[in-house]
This record gives sequence, structure tokens and C-alpha cells, in this order.
Amino acid sequence: MSTTVLPDEIRPALDNGVPAVMVTCSAAGVPNVTVVSQVYYVDEAHAALSFQFFSKTIRNVRENPRAFVCVSDVVGHAHWILQLEFERSETAGPIFDVMEMQIEAIASATGMSGIFKLRAADVYRVLSAEKVPYSATIAS
Amino acid sequence: MIPGKIVRFLEEYANVAFAGTRNQALVPYGHRVSGWHVGADGRSLTALIAEQFTTRLIESLEGNGEFALTVEEFPSHETYQFKGRYLRHRPLRREDVEIVDRIRQRFFKAVRPIFADGPEHHLQAFILKPCLAVEFEVFEIYLQTPGPAAGTRLVPPETLEK
Repeated sequence: MSTTVLPDEIRPALDNGVPAVMVTCSAAGVPNVTVVSQVYYVDEAHAALSFQFFSKTIRNVRENPRAFVCVSDVVGHAHWILQLEFERSETAGPIFDVMEMQIEAIASATGMSGIFKLRAADVYRVLSAEKVPYSATIAS
Repeated sequence: MIPGKIVRFLEEYANVAFAGTRNQALVPYGHRVSGWHVGADGRSLTALIAEQFTTRLIESLEGNGEFALTVEEFPSHETYQFKGRYLRHRPLRREDVEIVDRIRQRFFKAVRPIFADGPEHHLQAFILKPCLAVEFEVFEIYLQTPGPAAGTRLVPPETLEK
């Protein structure tokens, strides 16, 4: 089922420390797939993504604001598919401060201290959120 | 040509992957990938797409041909992105299923120490059942391992154009 806001049910998946995947597209029409350390719940209509490196993703969303994000809910045995639209980038303030603290914790836990550094919190408007359960069966 | 070092990474170490496409309106879409293999020509890759993630896939590929595939080894985070053009798609073959089984076991061994309390079938189920094989010709390969060199184009090398 798809909604146009972030349901409460998604919040544990956003906090589980499992990296999310983000797909963007350049103005020239080339898709780009990248791993995102953190998807932060701002409010039911907005999510913030960590901007750690100067990257193709950052360039893409400033050319073409649409983004696809897949969040893994390992406890709920599902994926969440988010359709997002880039709104703004924040380099200070409460959203940035909380994300910076969480990024440092993720970096410490994954041996990435000194590599992960939050440069900005990019805030996106939620266009849709859909839960996709894992298949009940395995290929083999 | 996909370099030998990266072929070995794909065949022996990588354990998670995700693909990206876009539609005519430049709206991106993502597709979980359960397995992959390098073509005999060394220039193409086949991505085995999970059955829950085929929405918009074929219409986008037949409409514009753009395909990107990011493949990672967890937990080292060594990551490469392959960009290219769609060639064809087909139903799964037995050898595809065998590849997915090997990757699922590789993934399970990698995450087991981290999720020691997680039920085995939950961890194995993270690698979803695939339903479709998408072959594409690789034009560019980017390093995406986290760090300052992330985003560097490896194939063709960036220095050739400087």
C-alpha cells in the first residue's frame, strides 16, 4: 500500500543502521545508484538524507529534484520505497546536528571514522512511501 | 572491457547490488538485484532482478536504454557502479538461480557475525527471489567505495580526457 506521507511504521527501519539505496537521474537522463548512510525522519512529509561526499547524487538532485530511496526493514522483513523531491540543503541547525551525531555513531560502528563526515543534510519532500514485503520463498 | 580485478570482485566477493533506471520524464526508479554475472565478451553484465522490483523496469529500458548497477561487498563497503545501455532481457535460467544461491550464501556469511541473533532464514531472505535477467553493455565503471575517491571514473580512466 502506498501513502503520501511517512507512516510511523517506517521509523524503526530508518533508525536500524542498515544503509539505504538512492537512485537519482541527471538532466541528461543518466541514472545513478548510490548507498546512503542515513535517512532521517524530519516530519511525516519530509525526510533528510546525509550528504557526505561531493558526488554525482548531489549534482543530480540539483539538476533534477526527483529521487528514489529504498530503505531496508530487516526486522519487519520488508523494504520501503520512497519517492522524494529535493527541497533544500541545511548545513547547520537541529536537523544537521542530530544527523551529524548519528553519522559519527554509524562511522564508529562500521570502522568508517574519519571517512564519514556530514557536509549537509539534504531535505526532501515525500511524494510517496510504499512497503514491499520480502518474498515468502527463496529462489532455491 | 571490465578489468580483471573488478571481474574477480564481482564473482568472488560482492554480495549486494541495486540497479537504477529512469522513465521518459527523468523520474528515477530502483530495482533490487539478487545476482549478477559478467558476459563472455567481458563488456556486458547481466543483472538478476528481484521479482518485487520489476515495476517500470522494461518500459523504461525499452524507452531509453539507460541502466546503472551498483555492486557492493558488505561489510568492507568496496563498491563499484556500472553504467551502460540495455541490450536485452529474458526469463531466468537454472544457472542464474545457482548464481543467486551462491551470492545468498556469501551474503549470509558476511552478515552473520553482525546479526548473530537474527534468524538464518531472515538473513538469507534479504537476497530476494529474482524473476528476470537484464543484460546491458557496460560503458563506464565508477569507484564508489566510501571515501574521498568515491565517484572516480575507472573505465574509461578519467586521465585520458584531461
